[in-house]
Amino acid sequence: MNGVLAVAYLSAGVLFIRSLAGLSKQETATSGNELGMVGMAIAVAVAMVTWLVGAHDPSAQALHLRGTALALLAGAIGVGFFIGATLAKRVEMTGMPELVAVLHSFVGLAAVLVGFSSYLHPHGISTEPVAVVVHEVEVWVGVAVGAITFTGSIVAWGKLKGSISGKPLLLPGRHGLNAVAALVIIGLAVPFVQGGAPNGVWYLVAMTALAALLGVHLVMAIGGADMPVVVSLLNSYSGWAAAAAGFMLSNDLLIVTGALVGSSGTILSIIMCRAMNRSILNVVFGGFGTGDAKPAAAGAAITGEVKELKADEVAEALSQARQVVIVPGYGMAVSRAQGAVNELTRSLREKGVTVRFAIHPVAGRLPGHMNVLLAEAGVPYDVVLEMEHINQDFPQTDVVLVIGANDIVNPSALDDPSSSIYGMPVLECWKARLTVVLKRGMAAGYAGIDNPLFTLEGTRMLFGDAKKSIDALVAAVRKG
Amino acid sequence: MPTTIGVPRESLPGERRVAATPESVKKLTQRGLRVHVEKGAGAAAGYADERYVEAGATLVDSAWGCEAVFKVRPPTGDEVGRLSSRALVVSLMQPERNPQLLGALEAKQATALALERIPRVTRAQKMDVLSSQANLSGYRAVVEAASHLSGFMGPQVTAAGSTPPAKVLIIGAGVAGLAAIGAARALGAEVRAFDTRAAAREQVESLGARFLEVQLAESGEGQGGYAKVMSPEFIAAEMALFRAQAKEVDVIISTALVPGAKAPTLVPRDVVEALKPGSVVVDMAAEQGGNCELTKPGEVVEFQGVKVLGFTDLASRMAHTSSRFFAMNLVHLCGELGKGDALELPLENDVIRPALLLHEGQPLPALPPKEPSPSTAPPHVPRADAKPQQQQLQSPSRGAWGSTVGGLAVIAALFGLGRFAPSDFLQHSTVFVLACFIGWQVVWAVTPALHTPLMSVTNAISGIIIIGGLLQVGDGLELPTVLGVLAVFFATINIAGGFLVTERMLKMFRRDDAPAAQSHGGGHR
Repeated sequence: MNGVLAVAYLSAGVLFIRSLAGLSKQETATSGNELGMVGMAIAVAVAMVTWLVGAHDPSAQALHLRGTALALLAGAIGVGFFIGATLAKRVEMTGMPELVAVLHSFVGLAAVLVGFSSYLHPHGISTEPVAVVVHEVEVWVGVAVGAITFTGSIVAWGKLKGSISGKPLLLPGRHGLNAVAALVIIGLAVPFVQGGAPNGVWYLVAMTALAALLGVHLVMAIGGADMPVVVSLLNSYSGWAAAAAGFMLSNDLLIVTGALVGSSGTILSIIMCRAMNRSILNVVFGGFGTGDAKPAAAGAAITGEVKELKADEVAEALSQARQVVIVPGYGMAVSRAQGAVNELTRSLREKGVTVRFAIHPVAGRLPGHMNVLLAEAGVPYDVVLEMEHINQDFPQTDVVLVIGANDIVNPSALDDPSSSIYGMPVLECWKARLTVVLKRGMAAGYAGIDNPLFTLEGTRMLFGDAKKSIDALVAAVRKG
Repeated sequence: MPTTIGVPRESLPGERRVAATPESVKKLTQRGLRVHVEKGAGAAAGYADERYVEAGATLVDSAWGCEAVFKVRPPTGDEVGRLSSRALVVSLMQPERNPQLLGALEAKQATALALERIPRVTRAQKMDVLSSQANLSGYRAVVEAASHLSGFMGPQVTAAGSTPPAKVLIIGAGVAGLAAIGAARALGAEVRAFDTRAAAREQVESLGARFLEVQLAESGEGQGGYAKVMSPEFIAAEMALFRAQAKEVDVIISTALVPGAKAPTLVPRDVVEALKPGSVVVDMAAEQGGNCELTKPGEVVEFQGVKVLGFTDLASRMAHTSSRFFAMNLVHLCGELGKGDALELPLENDVIRPALLLHEGQPLPALPPKEPSPSTAPPHVPRADAKPQQQQLQSPSRGAWGSTVGGLAVIAALFGLGRFAPSDFLQHSTVFVLACFIGWQVVWAVTPALHTPLMSVTNAISGIIIIGGLLQVGDGLELPTVLGVLAVFFATINIAGGFLVTERMLKMFRRDDAPAAQSHGGGHR
């Protein structure tokens, strides 16, 4: 039976790798996802069968208990599946970041539960003293990572949802607090291991509580616009938690999968950080506007006049353009304007205007968030381009439409060393003949800094709610 | 069988073309045919008599006595009178517009080959004078339009002010229409084109123009690549379209012809009235009655500041090149008429037979028609907005040091552990490290557009922790089992939620050419 299990785990591992590899292109992505499902089905089915036919106490009472356990399992899987499927079906694409965050928290929670369970009732672990110590350390690490992931993801979920303020919560001496918490978590491991199972369980509980607090505090200190990085980081944590669980259970499939997920999250975090020209440490430990950062107000004062256009004037400019680039930002997601944006795109394309989209890597609240929103609205993915593919095209562009984006189109990032986002790669939309910025008002972006783009010679503002403005544009383009 | 070809001077006023050039004469004489060229026949097209002589032609005072006569325009009654009996005449004939012509030719027992009747099949393209001349005319129509237009064709941005590109509407996307689209685009104008045949859309768009359409499902695909006459409803919708377009455009070039009938009136007075002063209408159908109500053939009519050009000699205005093409079409035609030093008439030839109006004074019974649409391959236009190459996001050198140092640290740590840790643990560590590397390689390849699906799919597969929960479910209902069941519960939410939402998302991603992309709403305005 062990051989069958090993083969099943191997196939599942291979299928997971192929599943991620499938995501390299849109054409293969769907089949990649299906491979992942197949891998999961194989792994779970074989594990279940092994569990059912495994060598157990054949006594009647044991069989009865086993039946109860089976019923519990079936219930857990059934209800869990139903909840998961409902979430997947109901979620709006603007709500994807929340769903992803909440799913991360479940992995963290499961890792904590598995850790406790494994500590209390180790399976298949030799009784050799060294092996026991190693196992207990593994449990410690797994539970710690799991707990941080769990509470961190819950807070991230709350921030994305808006039920927790997106502003960073900055306790005095918070770096010290974090450091102390981390040291205590490490330090507590010593009495825990020395106590031996199951006497150390209260150490484990205490550590879990501390790690949970650490998770809350870490994410509370991070601002709303940095959420893409946090969500990717938590994605990687959930992977590491799963890998740690694999270590404590001596299960290679868990280790492999956890490592895959962990690397994936790490890479996404790296990509996000590069896009903001910041290090992960800077994002995690030093948000904007904190005492550590230079005062943002030191940026060059903005002079000049904001020039406003009306919707029909913008529509006329769009209709007469040959090349139009749309830069969507979080504002598009907030006002759920993606459907209207697609309508506008279609109307313009019917007029022979080439319309493309420029996506900054940190636009939105999740890596690739804008892509998903535009795909949902029906925008074909081959006109949706990444920053490095479209930045050189702005000089040949007639009109750029900036929808609810601010910092990712801020020229200060390139030319104003005193700006707090100096050095961050941005979409150089001001090189186009005309840039129209759709905005609710003259508020600064997340970074809290002024955007000289708004007063540039070639920039016009179209004030109002993004969705309403775009609906008006669609009507005017259709009419004109 | 004719062995001598006569090339007369064209008698129609304003016609500058000639049916043979020194180049074509050379080709014809090479195969043993004799060519008699009337003195001064090529003068207007820029081909001097001496050049013909050099090429092997004989100069004559009248070419009408030859056994075969090659000509551009239909022969006049007078010319037919000078024709020798049983001669072969090759030219545009247009008997619909000149009913006496056939009678006169019949009386001479002549054989008449009407160039406009050559079927428009692929094999006959090289002898299709309509295409070769229409191509030139289409180009010339744009040039004439530009020269009469009181503005730039292309966009201008100067210190003294800017002008947008001229907007050009081209009605009929046949050979002439497509040539006009190409020429107008090359001058920098913004071009839209209309054609009743849906097949024209691809060709129009490949040249970078916008294809206009009316909201009626009726294909104007007639026989032989011409448009057929459309229903009144369609014409009404078409008119409405042109009226709307007239408010925007600066130039209208109409090329609509129906074979053997008067050209349809597509640009009535009120459409011209809707044009801005300084605009230009070029009516390429002027000779066949005109698409524009105000057209006067051969003249420029000015109406409320709009110029209506009714030139009937557009190709002739570039007589040097148009003659060259015309003459080469005839050389290719001769290729179908035998190989030796005499022209033969292959009556069964499916290209020649339909073009024979008369054979030795007698009309031939028609062959059963089989005329597929001509494949006018539009010239290849390189797309300026071709997608740039995919670039690697990763910068290898940047990460190299970090990963080397990190790797060394991991190895050192492993050595340390290896000293104490059980072999079981080391084995798992091996798997872990290798899996990290695989994950690293695989995930860098993921396209940024799919980063959200990547997160949700990794969410789903990290639900593999369900196995951990499962393994912890023991026989009894002790705490570890309960914890295990709870873990299974949460992991299942992850698996189901992650995979299903990924599937939902991926279904939304579609390419531009996917069937769902077809949208006919909106149309043209």
